[in-house]
Amino acid sequence: MGEAKKKDGVEIVGFACSFCTFKASEMAGSLRMKYPEGVKLVQVPCSSRVDPAFVIKAIFEGADGVFVAGCHPGDCHFIKGNYYTRRKIAALKEMFDAFSMKEKLRLFWVSAAEARRFVEKVTDMHNELKERKNEREKA
Amino acid sequence: MKTGIFICHCGHNIKHTIDVKKVSEYFKKFPSVTVSEDYPFVCSEPGQDMIRDSIEKQGLDRVIIASCTPSLHGEMFKDLLKKSGLNPFLLRRVSIREHCSWVGDDVEANTEKAKRLILAGLYSAAHYVPLEEKLVDVTKSALIIGGGVSGLSAAAFLSKMGMQVYLVEKEAELGGHVRTLKNIWPARKEGKSIVDEMVNELSGRKNVEIFTSTTISAFEGFFGNYQVTLNTPEGEKKLTAGGVIASIGFSPFDPGIKPELNYGKDERIITTLDFEKNGDAIKLPGKPRIAILHCVGSRDEQIGKPYCSRVCCINALRVAEAVKDKYKDSYVESFYMDVRAHPRGGEEYFEDTQEKGVLFTRANVAEISPTPAGIVIRGEDTLFSETFEREFDLVVLSIGMSPPIDNKLIASLLKITLDKDKFFLEAHIKLRPFDTAVKGIFIAGSCSGPKDVEESINHGRASAVKLFGFLNLGYAYVDPFISYVDPKRCSGCRMCEQACVAKAIKYDETKRVVHVEEAACMGCGLCNATCPSSAIGLKGYIDCMIDDEISAFLEAI
Ligand SMILES: Cc1cc2nc3c(=O)[nH]c(=O)nc-3n(C[C@H](O)[C@H](O)[C@H](O)COP(=O)(O)OP(=O)(O)OC[C@H]3O[C@@H](n4cnc5c(N)ncnc54)[C@H](O)[C@@H]3O)c2cc1C
Ligand code: SF4
Ligand code: SF4
Ligand code: SF4
Repeated sequence: MGEAKKKDGVEIVGFACSFCTFKASEMAGSLRMKYPEGVKLVQVPCSSRVDPAFVIKAIFEGADGVFVAGCHPGDCHFIKGNYYTRRKIAALKEMFDAFSMKEKLRLFWVSAAEARRFVEKVTDMHNELKERKNEREKA
Repeated sequence: MKTGIFICHCGHNIKHTIDVKKVSEYFKKFPSVTVSEDYPFVCSEPGQDMIRDSIEKQGLDRVIIASCTPSLHGEMFKDLLKKSGLNPFLLRRVSIREHCSWVGDDVEANTEKAKRLILAGLYSAAHYVPLEEKLVDVTKSALIIGGGVSGLSAAAFLSKMGMQVYLVEKEAELGGHVRTLKNIWPARKEGKSIVDEMVNELSGRKNVEIFTSTTISAFEGFFGNYQVTLNTPEGEKKLTAGGVIASIGFSPFDPGIKPELNYGKDERIITTLDFEKNGDAIKLPGKPRIAILHCVGSRDEQIGKPYCSRVCCINALRVAEAVKDKYKDSYVESFYMDVRAHPRGGEEYFEDTQEKGVLFTRANVAEISPTPAGIVIRGEDTLFSETFEREFDLVVLSIGMSPPIDNKLIASLLKITLDKDKFFLEAHIKLRPFDTAVKGIFIAGSCSGPKDVEESINHGRASAVKLFGFLNLGYAYVDPFISYVDPKRCSGCRMCEQACVAKAIKYDETKRVVHVEEAACMGCGLCNATCPSSAIGLKGYIDCMIDDEISAFLEAI
């Protein structure tokens, strides 16, 4: 599936919590901040909705990277969903590490007010993945 | 399946960087798509008529509106579907403005991205089913946290409209900062008299309960029925509130944070607030030399306060005027970056003050140092680009408004968010300046950013009007995005029950399966992500919807 893609850009699937990161992304848009078009968001009610299976599926289908983003610890609208997320993603990261692809998965906290942080986080991830991709293609 | 896709140009906002024609043409070839149109403004009346017409004439069973972000116009488009005889949960909004046309400049790349985003919406919506909104009772009572002018004005409006009001104030007296201010500008009244007038309006109203010296110790529940625990001098008290207005005000900037100002080291260096309180008692020579500094604790990136506090230029003018009125032969010099006499009449006030002989110097003040002879100010005159050093008998710092001390505490209790300056964040700065992201919780006054008295009172009243609109119905529809269990797949492992924070999942000992108590489910989806048997699903966000969105982003098109 991944090979079938004709696009050569870096594709990132991001899971964004409705109460924080998705709101930050809306604000980033309103402020006309720019970030790479490869970043695409799936809106979820809470970061804890993210099943590790989604992350694995995205990678299998050719995503260069996946991020899960939610509210800062202690700020979860659903009280402590993000603590579950943190645990799940930590376990998943170990698995990614075992397959030498830990750069493909990131977890970050972005509050509804942090439009700039959102843009910085996704751009940073995009740039790192792009660099790696270029290196691999050269090799 | 008969899907209608409606792509908005949003005037130039979307069309400018997305080839909308190309996108609408692209979707015409899908067998499940009956209509694919682009239109200048889908939210306009003719735009809505077009959608309604298509639904009715073509018998659409899914509607995809690709336009602004889903949190805008949400209710309006849902109503449109209802009016057209379609269940509102068969609507999918796709954000191609905030998440596409506004965040990228490349037309080709944006057009491809817009296709992907809409494709994800199309795939996901294929799994949609009609849902019924949940009806919940709403308690007709409001909790107001903070009894400054903003909270008082909210309380006055709500109680006048017959709502039960619980007003909670941390201090022993109501009135907040205004109570301590003299000669409030532009009313030229004592702050105390303004506050007393507002408090008097409330007293005697049977539907107002005031709790002073009280704080909130616990806060739970959802819109319509918030369970609140108060910590009062008489002990703990519990109450139920339908909605909340947070109006906990600001805290005055503490100039001690900037050591170069030497505040607190010498009694000849004071703040505007100190001047309000003890101005009359200060001993000065016959021809006093007085310096006033603007923007102390505002417009200062270095200390993380880049914002303008909006009231301190006027406060600086008030101090200058008071001194000039009392000491005709005084030398008064005001050091400013630029004078922002915000409210109506402010510019004229600035001119009047200049005419009274107050000197205005555009400057960067580097240091204030006390010496026995006087307080020495060193800095740079930024108009003439020269450094200066002058001696004064009194220095008044026009301090800004910092976020309230309890900002974090209240934010975490109410589950609302702080903005980058650590004031409460509104749901939308222009369209929803009174709401927070949480339904039924509003903000009022200077806790959402610096405001003067008039603005705080207006903000309080406006939030009260909005909350009244919610409460007065006595009921509310809440989104039906809650979890449900397929008992045939459930193995009874009870992992979801352990995970659920809301304790909404109950195990049936005889049937050996779980079920979800709808009223308690918060709709987080944690159980859905936890269940090893795929037996539990969160409506609106079930596995196949999210799986297919991921595929839409990545498959070859
Ligand atoms: C030196 C100075 C001079 C000013 N002069 C003028 C002027 O001339 N004209 C003008 O228009 N404006 C002036 N202002 C601005 C004015 O003070 C504000 O606009 C006004 O106080 C805002 O009202 P508020 O209700 O938002 O907040 P506040 O006045 O701060 O009231 C908030 C209230 O909430 C309470 N509270 C806080 N935390 C909690 C909690 N956790 N639980 C319960 N209660 C809590 C506080 O005790 C307080 O009573 C001046 C400000 C300063 C600093
Ligand atoms: S109101 Fe005037 S003194 Fe206050 S921060 Fe703004 S510019 Fe500075
Ligand atoms: S986790 Fe799944 S299988 Fe286990 S009890 Fe809950 S619904 Fe049933
Ligand atoms: S969606 Fe959240 S609140 Fe509802 S049952 Fe599942 S875990 Fe509990």
